[in-house]
Amino acid sequence: MSKQRPNYLAGLGSVVWLLVVGAPLYVLVAASVQSRADYGASGPLSLPRHFTLRNYVDDFSTGFGRYFLNTVIVTVCVVAIVLVVVPPLSYTIVRSRGRVTTAVFRLFLLGLAIPAQAVIVPMFYVISKAGLYDNLIGVILPTAAFSLPMCALVLTGVMRDITPDLYEAMAIDGASSWRVFRQLVLPLSRGGLSTIAVFSALQAWNGFLFPLVLTQSDSTKVITLGLYNFRTQYGINIPGLLAAVVLSMVPVLLVYLFARRTLVQGLMGVGGK
Amino acid sequence: MKTPARISRAVAAGVALALGLTLSACGGGSSDSAGGGGSDKIHVLVYGDAANKVEKQLVATFNKTSKVKAVLDTIPGADYQQKLQTIISTPQAPDIFFNWGGGSIKPFVDADLLLPLDDFIKKDPALKSSFLPSVFDSATVNGKPYGVPMRGTQPVLLFNNKKVLADAGVTPPKTWDDLLGAVKALKAKGVTPIALGGGDQWPTLMWFEYLYDRVAGPDVFQKALGGDKSAWESAGSKKALGMIRKLVDAGAFGTNYDSVKFTDQGSPTLLATGKAGFELMGSWEYSTQQDSHPAFAKKDLGYSSFPTVAGGTGDAGNLVGNTNNFYSVMKKTKHPEAVAAFLKLQYSDEFVKAQLGIGNLPTTTNTEKFLGTSASPAYSKYQFDLVKKAPSFQLSWDQAYPQSASTPMHQAVQQFFNGGLDTDGFIKAMQALPTA
Amino acid sequence: MTTTVTKAAVVAERRPAQRRSAGVGRPGFAWALPATAFFVLFAVVPLVLVAVLSFTSWNGLGSPRFAGLDNWTKLFDDPVMLNSLWLSVLITVLGVLVQTPLSILLGVWAAGRQRNRAILSAIYFVPLLLSATAVSVLWRTLLDPNFGVPSQAKWLFGDGNLLGMQSGAIGVLVFVGAWQFTPFHTLIYQGAARAIPQVLYQAAQIDGAGTVRQFFHITLPQLRNTMITSMILMVVGGLTTFDTVLILTQGGPGTDTTISAYYMYQKAFKSFDFGAGSAIALLLVVVATVISLVVVRVSGYDKMRSSVEGL
Repeated sequence: MSKQRPNYLAGLGSVVWLLVVGAPLYVLVAASVQSRADYGASGPLSLPRHFTLRNYVDDFSTGFGRYFLNTVIVTVCVVAIVLVVVPPLSYTIVRSRGRVTTAVFRLFLLGLAIPAQAVIVPMFYVISKAGLYDNLIGVILPTAAFSLPMCALVLTGVMRDITPDLYEAMAIDGASSWRVFRQLVLPLSRGGLSTIAVFSALQAWNGFLFPLVLTQSDSTKVITLGLYNFRTQYGINIPGLLAAVVLSMVPVLLVYLFARRTLVQGLMGVGGK
Repeated sequence: MKTPARISRAVAAGVALALGLTLSACGGGSSDSAGGGGSDKIHVLVYGDAANKVEKQLVATFNKTSKVKAVLDTIPGADYQQKLQTIISTPQAPDIFFNWGGGSIKPFVDADLLLPLDDFIKKDPALKSSFLPSVFDSATVNGKPYGVPMRGTQPVLLFNNKKVLADAGVTPPKTWDDLLGAVKALKAKGVTPIALGGGDQWPTLMWFEYLYDRVAGPDVFQKALGGDKSAWESAGSKKALGMIRKLVDAGAFGTNYDSVKFTDQGSPTLLATGKAGFELMGSWEYSTQQDSHPAFAKKDLGYSSFPTVAGGTGDAGNLVGNTNNFYSVMKKTKHPEAVAAFLKLQYSDEFVKAQLGIGNLPTTTNTEKFLGTSASPAYSKYQFDLVKKAPSFQLSWDQAYPQSASTPMHQAVQQFFNGGLDTDGFIKAMQALPTA
Repeated sequence: MTTTVTKAAVVAERRPAQRRSAGVGRPGFAWALPATAFFVLFAVVPLVLVAVLSFTSWNGLGSPRFAGLDNWTKLFDDPVMLNSLWLSVLITVLGVLVQTPLSILLGVWAAGRQRNRAILSAIYFVPLLLSATAVSVLWRTLLDPNFGVPSQAKWLFGDGNLLGMQSGAIGVLVFVGAWQFTPFHTLIYQGAARAIPQVLYQAAQIDGAGTVRQFFHITLPQLRNTMITSMILMVVGGLTTFDTVLILTQGGPGTDTTISAYYMYQKAFKSFDFGAGSAIALLLVVVATVISLVVVRVSGYDKMRSSVEGL
């Protein structure tokens, strides 16, 4: 296809789509660096007249720093849980022949069809009875649990690609399961590990429903909830809000810039949600 | 049923176990807030907004002398009632909590979660006598008092932009016909006559609350609330609906009111920037405008009470709105004495002054002395007189009904405005509301 | 997400069984236990509880009371509920109809290796970096009739009453969904289009087929599997739309955009009818599963290998 003459129609279409995608992003960034008064006076589509970072500073002073930190805590813990429990799971699924293991794998496949919304009521019930309501742990646990199926699937696929010969070579050395896992399986599935790390991190970073239902106070608020409440509070300040939107995107943007391939693979997992 | 409870206990035990095992590494994730388990503390839960300043101050005052320390927890934004109901029967429930009285606490009373305040009042009669009776009574459920007023009263008033009105040769309306005339004049000037944050739905409800009162008096709604659903079919009800229909059809609210919200400052900004002439809103409109459009609030923000309706039976002095916010007490509190001592602060001079300082209007009998110290004395005095003289002060419908009615009520109100429901449809929708 | 999944699952399960490698230490079930226990506790048990709760009456205070089939009979008599199912389907179908052609065109276009295409594709990708919450908040701000874009573009938006009428509100939900997720589907199609053997095009060129003909006769048929994957994702995503509705329309005006997923939340956490909420939730799980299964069966999808594999 690359040798063809330029396709003008496609070129035109691509520019139109660029406008659809780009204009809102322009407003987002432009508004976030204007003062409230300037934004109010000139409207969203105008060029910013005076550049200011005031909104970003204000966001941090009104608690966004805390929300940011909470989101980081949630994300790190979710990724940690996933990275601790999924590799041994996938390893077992790939290597064990037991019927139980097959059943377990099917269970996880089934889990892929459960939307988080569906279990939110009992989740609330369980979490509050367990005394974890309004506690970040109460957000971390279900978020991690709901990224397990996808992660298990991705990692199992990667681990299946390790050729049996390698296992046999280690068997000759009389290696234990643990040694095989540590010296063979883990190093060879590094790519899969980073994919599931990114996938679960995105789930945690962008998670909204679990925090919405399972937390309430400012000290446990995550960024998405901060954005949501920014809207419903009164005394709203649109540039401040949009600055917060930009802030919420920064870490993902950094990953995008520096680890594009891994991010894209992680996103393929996020898919429909 | 017992089964789910047992399952949940088993699950809870399992969760606790799993926690210990998997999460020791994530200890940093725990939060230190909320949760009323502490033995030497009382937790006070309030609606999180700018008024928290005063609550913080009072908690500090209380903690200076009390051995049992009070801890202030807040739930920000519009989710307060929702979150409250979700935690109130859990171990995270507070000892004392903010509410709107009426229907907002009725389910809790029915579930036997709240402490009737009779005993407190017996020991300290001032806990009741220090408040305006019409206000105190709206937290009475089944004949027993369950709430002590805190913060201020928030009647709904008809705000206006004086400059816009003057330009169109209009004065604040005294009667419904005046209002219709004003709508016509403002429309002719190319201004949206009345700003309405229809996207929030509750601002729309305010029009129903006032018109039902003015046309048929406060009893119709009280009857309906009491379970007599025929009240919605009464002639008064139908007349009020007809008048609303006419107002909407006359273009009083423009065409895009359902895309506008009060909560994101849409409608107040319309008023402040001269794009609209009136806005029917709770008394907090004033502080909202002071905050976001100080120059307008100072110079051009006018206010008046809702116009009368010719032939209507409702008194011109009747009010609707949030009569007050209240503190209610959980039955399970371990420190009733400390709680009683804390409630005493709610009619102290310090409380009144602090509330007035942030623009709230407390409803204690000693408020009058301090009106001069308010952030905006004229406005405070105007409101206080209205509330004091009001023959009836109807709690907002969505607060008077149980929480489970509020979504369908809001939807019906919005649909009546946009033509999705006709008069009969609206009446049916209101009759279908649970009255508890 | 269900579906990338189903696909990957199929792939994973279908890999030929590994040759016996005798004598190596094989991990016992204990290795899988932490993950399994964790998953059972936080996904399976809640799902079972949903089923149990759907037969109870519970307002969040005290303990649930057994209520038999009450919630279910009420649900099927509830016009809002029935309407919400219809709205869910409508919004999902519109989403598929808007996003599929867009993302195929963009994906095929982006599959070209030209430098300008690479740069533009990188920009197209950005909406995907935002959470659904952030996207909804952004669009709510942009679409404000008085202070957003409509106030500056009256020729396009008229009075800007987009969220105040049903057609407008549904349009906004579909558009915002497309804005956010088209990049994702574009990505899928881009990968798939790149995987189409160049030989096919070369042969077509020799036959004198133009770009358009090539697109319809080679590209589209080759993308068939990918289309199914992408559509299943859109369907499941569409049916579980929640954040956008909560933030942009709150199910309004009236109940005009109250789709099932949002109605469930409203019943449970706004009206505190957890029994009814659970019944709707269970219905959602069943519907989503059935749709996925049907699509998989009808398309013969379970018999093929994914074309996106290795993306």
